[in-house]
Amino acid sequence: MSETPRRSTRLNKNQEDDTKGKAKPVDQDVEMEDTAADATSESTEKVLTPKELEALVVADIKQHFALFIKSAKTHEARFAIRALRAVSSLRKRLTSHILAQTIASCYVKGKFLFVIVDTISRLLGYLGSEAAASITAEHETTVTKSETPEVDVYLHLLVMIYLLDQNQLEKGMELSNITVKTVQELNRRSLDQLAAKVYFYYARFYELTGRLSEIRPTLLNAQRTATLRRDDDTQSTLINLLLRNYFHYNLYDQADKLVSKTTFPENATNNQLARYMYYLGRIKAIQLEYTESHQSLLQAVRKAPQNNVTAGFQQEANKLLIIVQLLMGEIPERSLFRQPVLRKALVPYFQITQAVRVGDLNKFQETLAAHAATFNTDKNYTLILRLRHNVIKTGIRMISLSYSRISLRDVCLKLHLDSEEDAEYIVAKSIRDGVIDATIDHEKGFMRSKENVDIYSTNEPQHAFHQRIGFCLKLHNDSVKAMRFPLKAVQLDAAEVEAARDQERTLVQEIAEADEDMDEDDDL
Amino acid sequence: MAISEVKRLAQALSQEYNSANPDLAKCGHFLSQLKIALIELSYLTHEERPNNIEELTLARDVLEIGAQWSVRTKDIPSFERYMAQLQTYYNDHSALPASPLKYNLIGLNLLCLLSQNRISDFHTALETIDPEQLHNNPAIQHPIKLEQSLMEGSYNRVWSSRSEVPSQEYLFFIDILMDTIRNEIASCSEKAYTSLPLSDAGTLLFFTNMEDILNFAKERNWKVNPVEQKAYFHSDADEKINIPADQIIKQTMFYARDMDRIV
Repeated sequence: MSETPRRSTRLNKNQEDDTKGKAKPVDQDVEMEDTAADATSESTEKVLTPKELEALVVADIKQHFALFIKSAKTHEARFAIRALRAVSSLRKRLTSHILAQTIASCYVKGKFLFVIVDTISRLLGYLGSEAAASITAEHETTVTKSETPEVDVYLHLLVMIYLLDQNQLEKGMELSNITVKTVQELNRRSLDQLAAKVYFYYARFYELTGRLSEIRPTLLNAQRTATLRRDDDTQSTLINLLLRNYFHYNLYDQADKLVSKTTFPENATNNQLARYMYYLGRIKAIQLEYTESHQSLLQAVRKAPQNNVTAGFQQEANKLLIIVQLLMGEIPERSLFRQPVLRKALVPYFQITQAVRVGDLNKFQETLAAHAATFNTDKNYTLILRLRHNVIKTGIRMISLSYSRISLRDVCLKLHLDSEEDAEYIVAKSIRDGVIDATIDHEKGFMRSKENVDIYSTNEPQHAFHQRIGFCLKLHNDSVKAMRFPLKAVQLDAAEVEAARDQERTLVQEIAEADEDMDEDDDL
Repeated sequence: MAISEVKRLAQALSQEYNSANPDLAKCGHFLSQLKIALIELSYLTHEERPNNIEELTLARDVLEIGAQWSVRTKDIPSFERYMAQLQTYYNDHSALPASPLKYNLIGLNLLCLLSQNRISDFHTALETIDPEQLHNNPAIQHPIKLEQSLMEGSYNRVWSSRSEVPSQEYLFFIDILMDTIRNEIASCSEKAYTSLPLSDAGTLLFFTNMEDILNFAKERNWKVNPVEQKAYFHSDADEKINIPADQIIKQTMFYARDMDRIV
């Protein structure tokens, strides 16, 4: 049961365009709507004072504490997942004051006095002196409750996110180091979901400060431990972080080795899966395994949430997808270039596609030269260079289709090749590679196309049908596997049904908000 | 062995290697001595003494000579070993001063991969190169152009690229590449032509000597008609298409099983 909600993460989150990594002044109205929607009992129309708003956020955080504690007690990951899902909506509303208040209120003087005092002062220290000063005596007397490490780590995480949004990278890095260490020392299964998040921000801080290569050993170690413990969330996050790390330094060889030595957990969230598929697609594309690359990229594009927040990821994945499609000899659909999210980013790729489609070598070279800088920043330049011979192939195929007999000299002129000899070699190679079906008459210097063969006399149709049938059967099996049934469905009475529906509604909303997680990745 | 000793050895090696007529056996001797000495310094592992630039530079220079020496002695596995070791020095030690030989050796490595038809490794290696160098460095451009011509089938250009090599070491790999290309052209010709006059086959395959052509034709099992001076190629048009019975049975069983599960 615990995995099902995460599987259906594709829900549209409208009118959010958070920019990655930067703190964004949130429009007051929107903020209030969100808050009101989150705290279910609040009346929607009422205008809230900042103070009340803060109180709401604090209440939300406290509610999450309860969820974490519940999750740790019942060994049910889904409560923790639910709390973490709300982090993205919480993120926009965090202020140093709120954080300081929560921190002060939940660490109480108890058995582990020294540890706790230490943590408080540390966390507060990161928030800056101004926030620390705002903690007045009134908060010191708050409730006493038993502390769990989950809550502790969660607070660390919140402070980390806050620091990231405030662009205080050095501080954040320091804190993330401490948190990662704490998580590793604690070694509790109930922390798994939190740990994944912690590692994510840990790597993010190091990336923003340009020191990614330093954390590779830590990540590798953590990955090994996570694999041994079958901790799917941390494992999938870490694999992606490592891949991103390798890609950052163009170490595709090592990335490939990592992929071949690890198995990506099946239960990973859609967001992680989409990232993984994108990385996989890139590796395969570089290794000339276009069919596999194409499959992975298609999955990446489909699994990624389709909204404005993930525009960056969608653009990157689609760029690569277009190139791979072209390399496979297919022409991407025109409608792809028209999508509002993608249109602007894909213009250079559109022009390349046009050149390849027509088989015009000159136009291809021109476009390549004109957009070289863009392609370089996208790290797609070398892939596009490979397209050159696809352009030629398309050109030859067009010629072969339109002429039953053509002299090599004319082929040479049409394709803008260097010499007739070159044309002869190229045509010969295309014949061997199965691009065209023709023969060359060397003495008279022409190429003769063969009659079209009847495709239905070959095994080709059977092959195509097999692929489709296989896909349908797999789809059926997968959906059977994915079905879940509540335990006592019959005995539920009306009230319970209503309550369950309510819960579901909040869940759906949180899923939509969690989609924003993708936005961290869109500058790749 | 102290570092001064190693330095002296390395100097002797570079002197011998860079002399007009190097004694390759002697260089090999130096190299194996140096490798042992370097292991005692921070040759492969240097976790305890980071940024020991002097030792690292020394090790890198020795390895570079080793790589070039391997090409001269035509020892490809040894060349690959040296290159694999050099990768660390090129990629992971940004503190080291750049080596003038770096791109030359990377270019050689690319060519080496190309000559063994390891295209996917070739492209992976290409990705690690700085884009700036990728476009402008002649040592890198050469293998890239070569690969492009190969992919297109402009074998003429590959042949002529022999005269534009950036350094002497490249020739060794290009010669290997030539053999590969000849076989490529031959296999293309077999598909593209039904018959070919022997003299024309000679020009296509870059042979100047009739005897070479005949030998090559024999190797590839071409039917040569001595009267017409023509080579005939085996045509596969009359080959029978087998029905893949096994496969069809397997697939049908698979469908049956899955259908049974659904209904």
